[in-house]
Amino acid sequence: MGCGWGSVDNMSPDILAGLMAVFQWEVLLFLAAGVALGAVFGALPGLTAAMGVAVLTPLTFWVSAEKGMAMLLGIYCGAIPAGGIPAILMNIPGTPASIASTWDGYPLSREGRAGLALGINALLSMIGQLASVLFLAFAAFPIAAFGLRFGPAEYFGLALFGISLMAGVSGGNVLKGMLAGIVGLALATVGLDPMTAYPRFHFGQSEFLEGISFIPVMIGLFGLGEVLDQMSGSQAGLGQMPQKLGRILPNLSEWKRMILPATMGAGVGTFVGAIPAAGGDIASVIAWEQSRRMSRKKEEYSKGSVEGLAASCTACNSAIGGAMTTMLTLGIPGDAPSAVLIGALLIHGVQPGPLLFRDHRTLVYTIIFLMMLAAVAIAAVNMLGARPLAKALQIPQRWLWAGILLMGIVGSFALNNSVTDVWVMSAAGVGGFLFRKASIPLGPLVLGLILGPMMESNLRRALILSRGDWMPILSKPIVLFFVVVTVASLGWPVWKAVSRTGRK
Amino acid sequence: MKRSDVVVALLFMALGAALVVAASGFPPGVGPLPGPGFFPGVIGAVMLLLAAGLQVSALRSGTVPVFEIGNRRQLAVAAGLLLVYLLVWDQAPFAIRTLVFLIAFLRMLGERWRSSIAVSVVLTGAVVIAFQYGLRVGLG
Repeated sequence: MGCGWGSVDNMSPDILAGLMAVFQWEVLLFLAAGVALGAVFGALPGLTAAMGVAVLTPLTFWVSAEKGMAMLLGIYCGAIPAGGIPAILMNIPGTPASIASTWDGYPLSREGRAGLALGINALLSMIGQLASVLFLAFAAFPIAAFGLRFGPAEYFGLALFGISLMAGVSGGNVLKGMLAGIVGLALATVGLDPMTAYPRFHFGQSEFLEGISFIPVMIGLFGLGEVLDQMSGSQAGLGQMPQKLGRILPNLSEWKRMILPATMGAGVGTFVGAIPAAGGDIASVIAWEQSRRMSRKKEEYSKGSVEGLAASCTACNSAIGGAMTTMLTLGIPGDAPSAVLIGALLIHGVQPGPLLFRDHRTLVYTIIFLMMLAAVAIAAVNMLGARPLAKALQIPQRWLWAGILLMGIVGSFALNNSVTDVWVMSAAGVGGFLFRKASIPLGPLVLGLILGPMMESNLRRALILSRGDWMPILSKPIVLFFVVVTVASLGWPVWKAVSRTGRK
Repeated sequence: MKRSDVVVALLFMALGAALVVAASGFPPGVGPLPGPGFFPGVIGAVMLLLAAGLQVSALRSGTVPVFEIGNRRQLAVAAGLLLVYLLVWDQAPFAIRTLVFLIAFLRMLGERWRSSIAVSVVLTGAVVIAFQYGLRVGLG
């Protein structure tokens, strides 16, 4: 399998089919609806991209994979840039990914340059998304081609490696992060054993024999859990909205200053996004800090630096393409929204992973073109509709909670017409709320839930092939590489903690 | 001592132990091949170990943060409303039970009667139109 693109003249039929699939009015309508909904979910603090994708996934059950992906990718690509609007105008990040945009965006707004900050957010978000989608377009096929060499043993190694990254995305508490991941793995064992079909942990409920439905768990964790968390906390006070926006487009000297931080932000964002369970929030903070270190005008950072804002906006949006690359090529989610997208693709009978690039090449190109279109569309929405979107902040939070709760209930039920799924969503919501209160990260849980079946079934298939002998599995070069990296990534935090204790 | 972490660690230790015990009751594998209890057993054991590590770390810690859950009454009422809503799922038509649930939820949050009813009617109507008539989902 080659890169798959070629020149315009000898463009492959799959690329043309992908383009044609995108430019159907129904698909474009779903994309536009997704971008608009994403903008609302992003601009309203408390509503996140993951929540938007999770809660609205059930609406796509009845349409084709292309239309469903158009809407969900529109929400994903729309929510992250729109999250910068309240960050800039009111000092409140609309989504966690835009946290670093408050550091320079809000000071710019206070200086009377809110329009410029919004313009930078809109344009650099688009550039970040397009850069990372280009990475997806050119890197995904070689990665998938490499992935096609994988057998059960290599897939087990890959899943093991993915799970080891739980330590890195644990928000400082490695033990809690790993425990959350283990809970995800435990939940993944519910249902029939993948090899012997022996029923495990189904508690007499026939609905659980097929395992716990992934979508209700995600809706519960990111929808109901977030609503309960917000209900239990004090509502953040909103900053003062500026009366005048001023100039929106950056001038030439500002563009020159932004080139380097934006390029660095795009690189950092794509790389961090590609790491399982690490998303735009981590990417934007790292890029902002790296940009500050590289800048000749460090003193301007946190006081309204266009460079700082450019770095954070590009990075948090580039994480989308990085996350999608890992998700599509290896079947491992790069962040929470892409984890939900895995569930959505599975519902449409599409299994993310290397085989996707062999069996559904047209859909891959469709996804790439949809993401490009979404990036341009949300830039236009953000340039033209920043103020109306910010006004939407005045909707009482209680109404939003009621809406999210209702969509969560109906969405979970609509999956299989099963009340059990609504119970699962409710239990996951309460669990997600308690995890938040106990400072246990949710990312590793999602990772464990997705990687659990992949890890168990491939390990046991590999053991059947080796007649129960572990050595042929562990001596495979790719497996050995993953095992070494896993031991290193799990052992490093422990080594650091032990050496710190020793010094004390 | 981190009290909240002590409680969390105890809960995870109990869950890990339960997993190990339950997995040991599953049928054994054929020959050297692992059976259906292998993976859950390993997960339970790892959970037990990690939870024990968290327990030790929490007991050694000097600070004393506990769970800080505000608006407990509201949360309890919200959970109770959701529970009742799920229990009466098959007892009342979707539109009626949802309308009552949302009005009660918004009133509990301090919303005025008029806006509670208006928001609930709009939300319920939108969902019925989108799912029941648009997508043909039998909401009951």
